Amino acid sequence: MSLDVEEVRRIAALARLQLSVGEEAKFASQLSEIVDYIDQLRAFSADAAQADDTKPEGAIAVNDVPLEGRPLLEDFLDNAPASLDRFLLVPQVKAAPGGAE
Amino acid sequence: MTAEELAAAVRSGERTAAETVEQAFERIDRVDPSVGAFLEVWRQPAAERAAEVDRRRDSGKDLGPLAGVPTALKDNLSLAGHELNCGSRILSGYRAPYTAAAVERLLAADAVPIGRVNMDEFAMGSSCENSALTATRNPWNLNMAPGGSSGGSAAAVAAAEVPLALGSDTGGSIRQPAAFCGVVGVKPTYGRVSRHGLVAFASSLDQIGPIARTVRDAALALSTIAGPDPRDSTCSTRPVEDYLESIEDGIEGLKVGTIREVRTSALDKDAAEGHQRALDALEMAGARLVEVGIPLIDAAVATYYVLANSEASANLARFDGSRYGHRAAGARSLRRMYTDSRSEGFGSEVKRRIILGTFALSSGYHDAYYGRAARIAGAMRQQFAAAFEVVDLLVTPTCPSGAFARGERVDDPLAMYLSDVFTTPPSLVGIPGVSAPCGLDSRGLPLGLQILAPPFAEATALRAARAVEKTIGFVCNPEPTP
Repeated sequence: MSLDVEEVRRIAALARLQLSVGEEAKFASQLSEIVDYIDQLRAFSADAAQADDTKPEGAIAVNDVPLEGRPLLEDFLDNAPASLDRFLLVPQVKAAPGGAE
Repeated sequence: MTAEELAAAVRSGERTAAETVEQAFERIDRVDPSVGAFLEVWRQPAAERAAEVDRRRDSGKDLGPLAGVPTALKDNLSLAGHELNCGSRILSGYRAPYTAAAVERLLAADAVPIGRVNMDEFAMGSSCENSALTATRNPWNLNMAPGGSSGGSAAAVAAAEVPLALGSDTGGSIRQPAAFCGVVGVKPTYGRVSRHGLVAFASSLDQIGPIARTVRDAALALSTIAGPDPRDSTCSTRPVEDYLESIEDGIEGLKVGTIREVRTSALDKDAAEGHQRALDALEMAGARLVEVGIPLIDAAVATYYVLANSEASANLARFDGSRYGHRAAGARSLRRMYTDSRSEGFGSEVKRRIILGTFALSSGYHDAYYGRAARIAGAMRQQFAAAFEVVDLLVTPTCPSGAFARGERVDDPLAMYLSDVFTTPPSLVGIPGVSAPCGLDSRGLPLGLQILAPPFAEATALRAARAVEKTIGFVCNPEPTP
């Protein structure tokens, strides 16, 4: 299966990525080759098996996780590109009128 | 000296942790400008920690099994207060707010973390060339790739900058660089080592493990870092064995399986000869070789690249400029900030894999790609389980060849992925794998033997690796010179 530039651009947008024109062309070619390779999976029968998401032996239930020792809010905010009081600061969710999205 | 010998000397007072760490700094200063393994050397914190270890010994306290051992950490393992970039621009300036469980255990064993080492960006790569931060070279030949993604860990150990490093392995990222650099690398059973504090790539596959110059050191380190941890819900509560206890017991009578579908035609001539030498060594040590079939092994690379990249596309959604790392300047909307920060921050390979994973999970393609790959991985797990009813261990070459040249595959991602042909199957089925050196190829570059065991049978795999080490007598002593 080949991926054209339009398809690569559409998937990249889903992943919140914007590629340069050069990247789009290069990725379309490389990803087509990779998807062709992955398509060989059609030749393998796994009908007898179900998707196996067995947890490792003795895995701990999430509810058992103790809460103590979690990182402090201050440590978290120290890494934020921008913060105000106890909150992360980000651009407004909707673009300003006339502003580029 | 090995890590085991260094720790014994520090515990007994024969040498100090401070001088041990100082010697590591001197070696790093001498060879790392050529090798490029270290991203950052934590000189003062490491010297202070070493002094603390010495003070505790002087005050009569018993020291841990890794007392004073200088240890390098892959750049995706958290140590509180220290920078961690995952080899990426997008995590520029990020400081870990807490310490990874495996690193906590190293500290509890009195090891001394002395710096962070290079890796392919977000552990995506097999050559360390996808790092946005520096170039790492193979200490055996500086024109060659050290392997990846834990290439910095393997190169630092091979160049004798440190006796021990931690890496992480999702589809071969400990075992392949260990093979390329002539050192021992262990990917434990999924769930044997806590992933708490490891930056996630593909959460159902990622495992932390040791890289060392000897099998005994790898076993000692694994005994230290393994074990239950309530902060990782996939971490097993099964008690940890002392992997050194039985390591010298030999492999007389052990049934070791070769895999029918691993064709020598897939190997280059040197790798085929090296693998035969390793099989001969196993037989000389008393193992009985048996051939078994695992037909789905041929689907492993394709299955792996669907599942791992699907998980990566979800895991890496968190890097968007909001909470940490790089934020694009001037974005006037939240969506624009996400897109620009990610597009500027991620390198090509990471973008390629996120797109591939997003494609495999997208509407209309999910069942054909992710669903099918998940079913094949389940069926592969059953085939491995059936094989382990017949044999105690399985062996393959770690890689189809010795180290390839830097730059040789960087523009051919599929060729790069295919170098993982033998390391991805054990990752998909969650079993432990040890890569042990088994000689040099005709270019003087190391080759690795991959030893696979049933879940939680690391002790058996390490015992076999030790037998191969003793029989072959491999010595890791490259002298990296420009």
